[in-house]
Amino acid sequence: MLLELDNVKTYYGNIRALKGISIEVDKDEIVCLIGGNGAGKSTTLMTISGVLTPVEGDVLYKGQSIVSVRPDNIVRMGVCQVPEGRMIFPLLTVMENLDLGAYLRKDKDGINEDIDRVFGIFPVLRERRKQHGGTLSGGEQQMLAIARALMSRPNLLLLDEPSLGLAPILVDSIFETIRQINEQGTTILLVEQNAQLALQFSRRGYVIETGEIALSDTSAELLNNEEVKKAYLGE
Amino acid sequence: MGKLRLQDLTRGGKIRIGLLALALILPFLPFVTDYVLHIAILVLLYMILSLGLNIVPGFNGLLDLGYVGFYGIGAYTSGLLTYHFGLSFWVIIPLAFINGAIWGILLGAPTLRLTGDYFAIVTFGFSELVVLLLTNEIWLTRGPLGLPGIDVVSIDLTLFGGPKWEFIGELPYYYLAIVMVLVTVFVMYRIQDSRLGRAWFAIRDDEVAAVSCGINLLAYKVIAFAISAAFGAVGGSFFARWVTFLSPDMFKFWESFLILCMIVLGGMGNIWGVMIGAVVLVSLSEVLREILPVLGLPVQVRFLAFGLIMVLMMRFRPAGIMPIPAVAAKMRAGRVKRKKVKPAVGIKK
Ligand SMILES: Nc1ncnc2c1ncn2[C@@H]1O[C@H](COP(=O)(O)OP(=O)(O)O)[C@@H](O)[C@H]1O
Ligand SMILES: [Mg+2]
Repeated sequence: MLLELDNVKTYYGNIRALKGISIEVDKDEIVCLIGGNGAGKSTTLMTISGVLTPVEGDVLYKGQSIVSVRPDNIVRMGVCQVPEGRMIFPLLTVMENLDLGAYLRKDKDGINEDIDRVFGIFPVLRERRKQHGGTLSGGEQQMLAIARALMSRPNLLLLDEPSLGLAPILVDSIFETIRQINEQGTTILLVEQNAQLALQFSRRGYVIETGEIALSDTSAELLNNEEVKKAYLGE
Repeated sequence: MGKLRLQDLTRGGKIRIGLLALALILPFLPFVTDYVLHIAILVLLYMILSLGLNIVPGFNGLLDLGYVGFYGIGAYTSGLLTYHFGLSFWVIIPLAFINGAIWGILLGAPTLRLTGDYFAIVTFGFSELVVLLLTNEIWLTRGPLGLPGIDVVSIDLTLFGGPKWEFIGELPYYYLAIVMVLVTVFVMYRIQDSRLGRAWFAIRDDEVAAVSCGINLLAYKVIAFAISAAFGAVGGSFFARWVTFLSPDMFKFWESFLILCMIVLGGMGNIWGVMIGAVVLVSLSEVLREILPVLGLPVQVRFLAFGLIMVLMMRFRPAGIMPIPAVAAKMRAGRVKRKKVKPAVGIKK
C-alpha cells in the first residue's frame, strides 16, 4: 500500500471534522474521495500532507508513519498537495510559480526537464510563461496549480477539487490530463464534489459524510449504487 | 565594462543618484544647522530600524509589536560593552548583529508556531519585559538613572602609528549613518532577490501554498525574525554611541508602534516606501514637538496624531504611500466576505 489512513481523527479545536477515517491508496491508482460541502474532504488531504495533525489514528506512507513528519519533509518524501481553490501565487509569473514548486530541488537540469514535461502536459502554460498567475483564466490557474505540484516530482499527488468553478468543457480536459499524469506514473488521490466525473476517472472511490466514510467500493460499483445516484449524481 | 554615463541610467537610477548626492552635500547647505543635522541622523537611524522591522510584517506577513525590545537590547549591550570594556564601535557592530540574531532566534523559535495574533501578543510582551529588565536590574543597567558617559565612536589608527579621530558633533555621525543605511538597503535588495526572499514572499502570500512547495515555514520565519532583530540591535548600537546616554524609557512600546507606523505609512514590504515612511514620520514628529507646546498641549499628543494618520491610511490607502501589489491584494481580500457554506447532502439519515 502506498498510502494508508487508519482511523484518523482530526479536530479544529472542538469541531470534530474527521471522526475516524480509514482510506487506502495503492501504487499507480487513481482513488477518489467524494462528498458534499463540509464533509471533511479538504481536512483529510490537509491531514495527509501534514498541515493538520490528527488527534488519533495514523497516516502511513510506504508503510512509515508520517503524522509527526513536518509538512515540507512530507513533500520531500514525494507527497504533494494541490490545495483547494487554485492556491497559486497570483503576483508571480507562471515560470516563478513553477520554480517555487521545485523549491526543494537543486538539480538544474532535472528541473528544466520537468518544466518541459509540464509544458508538454499543459501547452497553454508555455505560451503564458511570462504572465502573472493572477491574470490566467480559472482553468489555466488550475493547470498551473497542478503543474507546480508536479515540479516536486511527487509519487502521490493529492488533488483538492480540481474542477471547482471551471466551465464544463474545461473540467473534462482537466480530468483527461489527470489521467495522463497518472499514466506517466503518479498515484493520485482525488477529492471532488463532482462525483460523476470523479468516479468515471478513478478506479476506486470513497464517500465521505460528516467526517466519516459512508461507503467505499470500486468506482464502477459506486456509479451504479442507488444511494450514491440519489445523493450525489442527481438522478 | 564601459564607463557609467548619466544618460544611460534609468529614471529610477537618476533619482537614486540625485537623492544620494543631495544627502551627501546636505550638511553644507546654508539652512542646515546642527539641529537639522540631528533630525537628519534620526531619520537615517529610523530608516535602518524600519527596514529591519519590515522583514517581519512586510516580507513575511507577521505582525511584530516587540521590535523595540531588540533595539533596546542592542543599545544597552553596546553601551555596557563600551562603558565597561571600552570596546570599539567597529567591533561592537558585528557583535550587536549576532547578539540581536541570537535573541531573535531565542524568542522566535518557540513562538513563531503560534498563529498571527498570539505571536503579536508575545512580541509585545517581550518588549515590555525588556523595559522591565532594563529598569529593575540596577546592578547592570543603573535602572532609571540611565547609563551616561558612553564613549563616542572613534577611528583609532594608533596601533598602526596613525592618528585617533573621535566623532565630535553631528557631522561624522551623519555620514556614518548614511553608510549604514546604504549597507542596509543593499542587504535588503539582495535578500529580496534571493532564494530566501522568494520563500518569505511565498509564506506571506499563502502559507498553505508555500508549504505544499516544500517550504519549511517555521525555519524561514525564525530566520526572518532573527535578521530583523539583528538590524534592530545594530540600530540600537549606533543610537547608544551617538547620544552617549541610555535610559529604559527610550525603549517603551511606543517606539515599536512608531516604527510600525512608518512601515504601514510608506508601504509594507516596499524598501523605498519604508524609507519614505521614516522621513515623513520623523519629520512630522519633530514639527509636532515644536508646535504642540505652543498650542498648550503635551508632546505626547503626537501619538494621537500618529494614530489618526494610521486610521486615515487604513481607510483610504491601506497598502501605504508606495504599495506593493502583494500587500494591496491582501488588503483587498480582507474586505471580501466569505461565502456561506451550502448544507451538505448525504446518504445517511
Ligand atoms: N479552519 C477551520 N476551522 C474550523 N472548522 C473548520 C475549518 N476548516 C474546516 N472546518 C470544518 O470542518 C468540517 C470539514 O471541512 P472541510 O474538510 O473543509 O470539508 P470539505 O472539504 O469536504 O468541504 C466542516 O464542518 C468545516 O466547517
Ligand atoms: Mg474542501
